[in-house]
Amino acid sequence: MSELRKEPVLYDSGQSMPYVDSRIYSDEGIFAEEIEKIWKKIWLVTVHESELPEPLDFRTLTIAREPVVIVRGTDNKIRAFRNVCPHRGNLIVRKPAGNLSVAEPSGNANYMTCMFHAWQYDCFGRCVDIPRMKQGYQDRLRKEDISLEALPCEVKHGGFVWLSLNKNVEPLAEFTGEAFDIMKVELDTEPLDIFHYHKAIIPSNYKLWHDTNSEFYHDYMHYFNRATSMMQKGYFERQYTAFPNGHCTVGSMEVKYEAYQGAKERPLSFPGMPRNGWKMVDLFPGATYNIRGSSLRVDTTTPIGPNLVMIEFRGLGLKRDTPEERAQRIRDHNTIWGPFGRNLHEDLLGITGQGVAMRPGTEPRQVLHGRHENNSIHDEIGMRHFYAEWQRRMGRSPSDPMRELSLAAE
Amino acid sequence: MGMNETAASRAEAVRNAIYRACLFLDDGKFKEWLTLCAADFSYRIKTYSPEIRKEMTWYEQDWSGLSKAIEMLPLHNTDHGRLTRHATVYEVSLDPSGSEASATTSFVCYRTMLDGINAHLDAGETQLFLIGKYHDRFRFGAEGPLFTERTVYLDTRRLDKGTHYPI
Repeated sequence: MSELRKEPVLYDSGQSMPYVDSRIYSDEGIFAEEIEKIWKKIWLVTVHESELPEPLDFRTLTIAREPVVIVRGTDNKIRAFRNVCPHRGNLIVRKPAGNLSVAEPSGNANYMTCMFHAWQYDCFGRCVDIPRMKQGYQDRLRKEDISLEALPCEVKHGGFVWLSLNKNVEPLAEFTGEAFDIMKVELDTEPLDIFHYHKAIIPSNYKLWHDTNSEFYHDYMHYFNRATSMMQKGYFERQYTAFPNGHCTVGSMEVKYEAYQGAKERPLSFPGMPRNGWKMVDLFPGATYNIRGSSLRVDTTTPIGPNLVMIEFRGLGLKRDTPEERAQRIRDHNTIWGPFGRNLHEDLLGITGQGVAMRPGTEPRQVLHGRHENNSIHDEIGMRHFYAEWQRRMGRSPSDPMRELSLAAE
Repeated sequence: MGMNETAASRAEAVRNAIYRACLFLDDGKFKEWLTLCAADFSYRIKTYSPEIRKEMTWYEQDWSGLSKAIEMLPLHNTDHGRLTRHATVYEVSLDPSGSEASATTSFVCYRTMLDGINAHLDAGETQLFLIGKYHDRFRFGAEGPLFTERTVYLDTRRLDKGTHYPI
């Protein structure tokens, strides 16, 4: 079941018109199973390293309901731990971000301090202080035995911090495979830097957001994309490429930004990126890297319930940007992707409507994933590929999800 | 009119301009709102992210850019929620020259839904959308104060669906 795929596989419901059953978006039991079989098992992309630039900087987050803290150590290495005190199960680090050199009321600076009983942990996850340990525990407890649980953690693919709750997870390089080859030069030639972060909590299923990021047929919803892309040369030649383990990519075209009133050409870019180019990498089970000329957007999803998802949006440029270049990248990014941007609001309305029509308790529906256009931009190969991986990991057919398949891994 | 009287009337004119701007924005009369703004007007929406520990600019336009963005609104899908502001001008400061002024206004912005989520259930419901402050700059002319700068500084950072409309 956990063995990775060597070749991409497309989901085929066995019908001439591939579809998924809407209960994969609404059923409580399936959602709980997804958390266990997918979200707790595989690599997930989280924060960017530039969010923790200094030793002792930290970020907190939740993965599959589990609290996690990411810390840059005094040795400059980024590590991740379960953010739960082994003493009484309390959350240890509570702020979204900060630096451990700032003292907390319950404890000294430089450590992660549980405010409840002042147990302290250093940036390596080691327990360094238990108040009145000898008096309370005599010789029955050793600090060495209660370190914070370290999680598999790697900084990769543009300086993002990748985590897994699964201690036996396969190497990250095997999981992502060649999916990042299309964007490797842009991401890894020089350091990136974050300039934008915001989040949205939407009453919809996490997969519906990833579906939106995995198909471009919905460009009919975006006047901006119709004017600057769909009406332009090269749009219908953009190709999807499927990769093992549910990932896919979308090839570039030259976007004509000036075709939208008030928008301008984007002279800034990334190393190796064609001027005004546009590339995407969609990653199973719910993240997307999206470069449009001057800015990189990375979406990450946190499933909260079958009909509730948090989506975090990050915008990045090059670390070496001049103030003028950075301001331009930010303007370009916000035109379409900020919370007041032209496209994002529309995309979020799209999945909100799906969340209404396919909320828990609604009647099962067939949701079509059947566009075949030689893997070009309006082909729905991205979604079919995602659901092939979903089926493999869940042991359920997306078109008949209430029945467990006899062989979980095919 | 004495100096203090002039200052008081100018401060009152600034307050009136801010409230008039709120009324235009509430009614979706964006072109009328722009008539309160000078040709060199600049508009931005900013906030601070404790997550990435950086100041962020979420929207930035000059008068011309805003005007074009407003013209394009009918071509874009939206949730048609009505945004209503409740503003209180906390402070008006006249520059020593007397020709310019700045003002700080606290505001809340509510969204009354039409087709935001499920119209059958939610249409007519009002939700708090965001809170923040307006930091405005004005220049006095023959017809009173004109906005030369507005920075909408948001406290609210989770805007969920967001919006296409100026705040």
